Amino acid sequence: MKLQLEKFGKTLISRELGSEAFKAFQPTLHKFSKNEELEIDFFGVLTLSPSWADEFLSPLLNQLGDKLILLSSDNLSVIATLRILQEVNTRLFRIKS
Amino acid sequence: MEEKLFTISQAAEYLRVSLNTLRRWDENGKLVAIKKEGGTHRYYRENDLEIFSSDLMKFASGWIQDGVEFPGTFYCPTSSIFNARLMKMQNTLMQKPGFEKLYSLIVLITGEIGDNSFAHNLGKWPDTAGIFFGYNLEKRIIVLADRGLGILETLRQVRPKLSNHVDAVRVAFTEFVSGRAPEKRGNGLKLVREVIMEWPIYLFYISGDAEVCMKGHNKIFRVTRGQRIVRGCFAKIEF
Repeated sequence: MKLQLEKFGKTLISRELGSEAFKAFQPTLHKFSKNEELEIDFFGVLTLSPSWADEFLSPLLNQLGDKLILLSSDNLSVIATLRILQEVNTRLFRIKS
Repeated sequence: MEEKLFTISQAAEYLRVSLNTLRRWDENGKLVAIKKEGGTHRYYRENDLEIFSSDLMKFASGWIQDGVEFPGTFYCPTSSIFNARLMKMQNTLMQKPGFEKLYSLIVLITGEIGDNSFAHNLGKWPDTAGIFFGYNLEKRIIVLADRGLGILETLRQVRPKLSNHVDAVRVAFTEFVSGRAPEKRGNGLKLVREVIMEWPIYLFYISGDAEVCMKGHNKIFRVTRGQRIVRGCFAKIEF
């Protein structure tokens, strides 16, 4: 399944809204089959902050592990945010170009 | 051509302050009105209002240090209002030549610092809740300020041994620690530091008497002790 992250907004800044987005996505995630992969597409996102992403992508990484795939983006805030989240989580995301 | 003058009501709307505030500012000389010959009504030049409302540093520092009133157009009482104004800034900034890509990092830094103020002071604001958020994209400056607890008091909740503002601000910008533990937090200001080191964005940040000044071509991250003690947090971002 591919998730267009911009469905949660084009400016993804606050922790509060990142946490809300994660909760809102849980029912969809529960319908996943065991081996299904989730691709996150950042296209259309203007700014992604580490606070928002830490509430959304970090728990998804814990839930899905290698089945979580991030599509590469040339947005500078996305690149910087993914870099620090990998450092915080001491775990690398699977990034697909 | 005769210069257009604003009535006091129009000026109040422009600056988002009350009529009484404008009358008081006129009487104490803070923003002097024009009175037509023989008249008592107050009028204002548009340029005077523009200049008055663009002095971001003065408003922000006056508010956090002495509680001085400022034009309501810069006040974000809630996180959602801050986010809405941040998006408006983003839309303008991304149209600016030379900022087609860099805008996202400037918005990220602004968003992290502003969101921190709300997240760390939720339910704990000592007096006025909310933040000052002003920007002038022509002058390439963004100013944020809050009258919250400040970094030291926030981090002491998880690091009780922290004894001064300088150490607290250093921890906030360099370590993965949160003032809201056990929640997993505390990466925002680290990324702010890293982005500023790498890109042509500059930061002046104060909390308590701790100051961070990352400017110039050879930026370094260093926390020093300043002459004044600032209530809450104050940040000036230039680019």
